[in-house]
Amino acid sequence: MAGEPNKKDKVLGKRIDKFFMGLENAYKFVKRFFQEVWFPPYEFKEVIRQCYQIGWNSLPLISLTGFIVGVVFTNQSRPSLAEFGATSWLPALISIAVVRAMGPLVTALIAAGKVGSSIGAEIGSMKVTEQIDAMEVSATNPFKFLVVSRVLASTFMIPILVLYTDFVALLGAFVNVHFNELVSLSTFFVQVFDAISFLDITSSMIKSLFFGFTIGMVGCYKGYNSTKGTEGVGKAANSAVVMAMFLIFIEELLSLQVTNFFRQL
Amino acid sequence: MRNDNKKSVTVGIFVLIGIIILVTGILTLGAQQKAFVKSIRVFAVFDDVGGLQTGNNVWFSGVKIGTVKKINFYGDSQVEIEMNIESAAKEYIKKNSKATISSDGLIGNKIIVIYGGAEEVPAVEDGDRLTAEMPLDTDKMMETLQENNNNLVSITEDLKVLTHKIANGEGIIGAVLTDSTLAQEFRQMMGNLQRTAINSSRMTSELADFSDKLNQKGGLMDDLINDTTVFASLRNTVSALEATGAKVDSAAANFNEASEGLTREDNTLGMLLNDEQFAEYLKSTMGNLDTGTVRMNETLEAMRYHWLFRGAFRKRDKANRE
Repeated sequence: MAGEPNKKDKVLGKRIDKFFMGLENAYKFVKRFFQEVWFPPYEFKEVIRQCYQIGWNSLPLISLTGFIVGVVFTNQSRPSLAEFGATSWLPALISIAVVRAMGPLVTALIAAGKVGSSIGAEIGSMKVTEQIDAMEVSATNPFKFLVVSRVLASTFMIPILVLYTDFVALLGAFVNVHFNELVSLSTFFVQVFDAISFLDITSSMIKSLFFGFTIGMVGCYKGYNSTKGTEGVGKAANSAVVMAMFLIFIEELLSLQVTNFFRQL
Repeated sequence: MRNDNKKSVTVGIFVLIGIIILVTGILTLGAQQKAFVKSIRVFAVFDDVGGLQTGNNVWFSGVKIGTVKKINFYGDSQVEIEMNIESAAKEYIKKNSKATISSDGLIGNKIIVIYGGAEEVPAVEDGDRLTAEMPLDTDKMMETLQENNNNLVSITEDLKVLTHKIANGEGIIGAVLTDSTLAQEFRQMMGNLQRTAINSSRMTSELADFSDKLNQKGGLMDDLINDTTVFASLRNTVSALEATGAKVDSAAANFNEASEGLTREDNTLGMLLNDEQFAEYLKSTMGNLDTGTVRMNETLEAMRYHWLFRGAFRKRDKANRE
């Protein structure tokens, strides 16, 4: 467990030491996850319950957001393309934007807000009310039950939510394009799939796995390490969202570089 | 427990639908990019591929038939393109077909266009190399455009000089535009030309009418041209005319001979026409005859009142009056 560094033990400075100690703790937390995930007992029921919470319960919010993103992005892109008479390229432009970046990013950010905060708050309140300690006493592995199940559920549900978001966002874009450019559904989807490649879908799915893993892991880490009573719970939930979002953007940047590397092969 | 089952089923359906979306997307993408169709590899070597990328489309007659698989350097500075072309399309691509690099729109992606190929040449096979036709270079186009611009500048400068001269009344066109007398003459000339044109038109029209009449069925010319009977008759007539001409010739010769005879004095008419002595004698005779006739007339008039013949004359006059 990370504690406040002592004044006497200060190495580089209080804040810097705290940062690196936090990194070490995070590393240990992730390491423990990979140590625990392969071995029984497997908490299938808890994983399913978390999948329901993370996936199914997020679906309405994700669908609505995806649809709005599709409509708005199409509408905002039209004037730029219309300037040089290329509105027929809207499906291709939206397809690239949604599949490559916006679908995964919007889903991950929404999930970071909804799921990350909920995991952080849930585990944090369990921590401050010593329920986790009670689980240890009753011979239940709290890490496996609480952390592994949530991280697994988040890791597998986010890519599926991304697929839904992509689909719904493209539908939203189609509605807008159909009423403005009178493009049929089949023509729209032919143009959509003409613009993307297998690499786009693969990279989108892989980075969605990382996004899901990050959201689950950050939420659990912040909740598992929350302190200072109810105030700590709120802080854990808040920092879980902020940290998850920050890491999602970093991962997006890295995935862009990696994907471009493979694209040029 | 029941609630847990419900959640499990819901999650299962949720995941299943997600997977269906993914699989449908992959299959649609694969079908559209010809990823799951049987294909052959065809190569082409270009000097410059102009930004062509792996995955760009290959078109034949405006239809997408494959994609660019690999782009490798070849030789010193050339580029070898490996294309995947679907097997269904290979029978239409001949071994002597050509490949060029084009664009699928004004600002679209680069594509490879396969075109041409003789019908009698066999179809392309796996591993074949197509002849590469270099696309139109934008730099060269710009160079040509620049050259055209320079020419345009030169032309407009010449035009400027010309229009200046015309405005000042220099040269024929300038004189026509500025000299009122010349303009008047020119106008008259144009009027004459117009009248000539009208006359020509009328003449042409009349000629057309005439030719129509010539071609009219039953007309002389039509019969002459088309009717064999008339032609035969005409030939006979011409033959008869020739015979008549010969006879006329002969008659003319006779007349000539006769007229020659008239110039001589060894015949009666010739002597009448040429002998002056005889003419004098004949004249004297005619004079005597005239005198004799007058006297005889007087004698006969006297007889009319003679008692011996008076009755006979009265009877004749009476008969004439009735």
